[in-house]
Amino acid sequence: MAFRHEIEALSGHAARVNLCFQCSKCSAGCPLADKMDLQPAQVMHSIRLGREEAVLNSRAIWLCLGCETCSARCPQQVEPAAAMNAARIIALRRGIKPSVKEIGVYYRGFVDNMRLNGKIHDASVAGITQLLTGQLIESLPLAWKLVVRGRVKPPPLPLGGGRFRRLYNNVLAKEKGH
Amino acid sequence: MRYGYYPGCSLEGISVEYDESMRRLFERLEVTIEDLPDWICCGTLAAPSLSPLLGLATPLWNVARAKREGYDRLIAPCSACLYHFKHAAKRVAENAALRAEVEAVLEMPLAAPPPIIHPLELLAADAFEPRIRGSVQRDLSDLKVVCYYGCHISRPAAVMQFDDPENPQSMDRLLSWVGVQVLDWPGKVDCCGAHFSMIKPGIVVDLCARLFEAALEAGADAIVVACPMCHANLDTRQDEIAAKLSWPLRMPVLYFSQVLGYAMGLPAERLGFQRHIVDPVPLMVAKCQQRMKDEG
Ligand code: SF4
Ligand code: SF4
Repeated sequence: MAFRHEIEALSGHAARVNLCFQCSKCSAGCPLADKMDLQPAQVMHSIRLGREEAVLNSRAIWLCLGCETCSARCPQQVEPAAAMNAARIIALRRGIKPSVKEIGVYYRGFVDNMRLNGKIHDASVAGITQLLTGQLIESLPLAWKLVVRGRVKPPPLPLGGGRFRRLYNNVLAKEKGH
Repeated sequence: MRYGYYPGCSLEGISVEYDESMRRLFERLEVTIEDLPDWICCGTLAAPSLSPLLGLATPLWNVARAKREGYDRLIAPCSACLYHFKHAAKRVAENAALRAEVEAVLEMPLAAPPPIIHPLELLAADAFEPRIRGSVQRDLSDLKVVCYYGCHISRPAAVMQFDDPENPQSMDRLLSWVGVQVLDWPGKVDCCGAHFSMIKPGIVVDLCARLFEAALEAGADAIVVACPMCHANLDTRQDEIAAKLSWPLRMPVLYFSQVLGYAMGLPAERLGFQRHIVDPVPLMVAKCQQRMKDEG
């Protein structure tokens, strides 16, 4: 399947890449455009040109916060945010390491934490992410301020994850079947 | 009307004061809410980044559960949870084959689920105006605030179908009903950096610095929010933001539910004011007292 079609299919056809007429309104409103190697409009154009490697290895797809400003403002209803999400899925499926390492670590740790209790324990997810990305020490003073204000709960016993693990296993079985 | 309530993970942790104040406010307004039993995390951006099916099934588990409970509405105070629910519900509503696939994973039916709403959508409706105006017990007419809606309460419009995606008004309306001075400003729907506070805090500091600049420019005493991530980012990083802007910054950031509850006479501790990094109590007390002095 051509790269563009793959992106479109994974986004549930929300990312209508071929309708993009490169007005760059998405890039203009994106809060992270100045930090991206490919700005949202360039990501859209690269997808159309089949520049698969460039897109899947970009920092842009991992820096995207999913804020939806681009999708909200696109005059062509192209939904670049959905294309960014589809590109993240394809990159992981191909075994391409997220080019913004911290974000890949965070997303993985997040879902792993859900498997314990169905819900996440926010302080554990933050702590583990910060530990694995070498930011733990800097984050301790703030963590302590939150503890004394009662905004950090002790981690719950991992007893409530059964319903999520069942769902997760059903998803895995379904995806293998495809 | 039966209202189901989905607090979400943040409201059990870093944003516990949003949950406390939301519940107190509903009690005060005599709105009965029922906690959704056995709810699971909405999956945020993490679940859909790993697998599209997981990204739909995780939020929809809660929607299917709410349907099974027979709620007429499901209330989600976190705008990220809200967005993931509404986005996933729209996807399966438009595609019967996809819905069947998700139903098989969930082992629950999904047809005709209850609408999912932000508490602002419930409370800013005309029907609540007399009840909210009639509940006011503290005069906050000297308090000047800007309302910060962030990303997902009304964006993207096709999914959220609530308020105006570029210039939302629901929170402005609600706060004006309790007498607060609501100022106009350009930051209403800009992004705070969301979950990047745990991963790339520098980005959050950059984005929040722009918001504080705009709020100060508008002459605000405080920023009022309706999302746990917006609150966490704006409340907890003001020292770093002050260093970046090189001017002192201590601006209280409050949930709309805290301001409404305070205006309705609820005590500050019951609304979780003591949990903030930037203590809002001196500001709120000063604004109330000033008014009493002016009148006395
Ligand atoms: S706003 Fe839409 S049409 Fe314009 S460049 Fe971006 S995706 Fe293309
Ligand atoms: S959703 Fe992503 S690409 Fe779109 S404006 Fe937000 S951060 Fe930028």
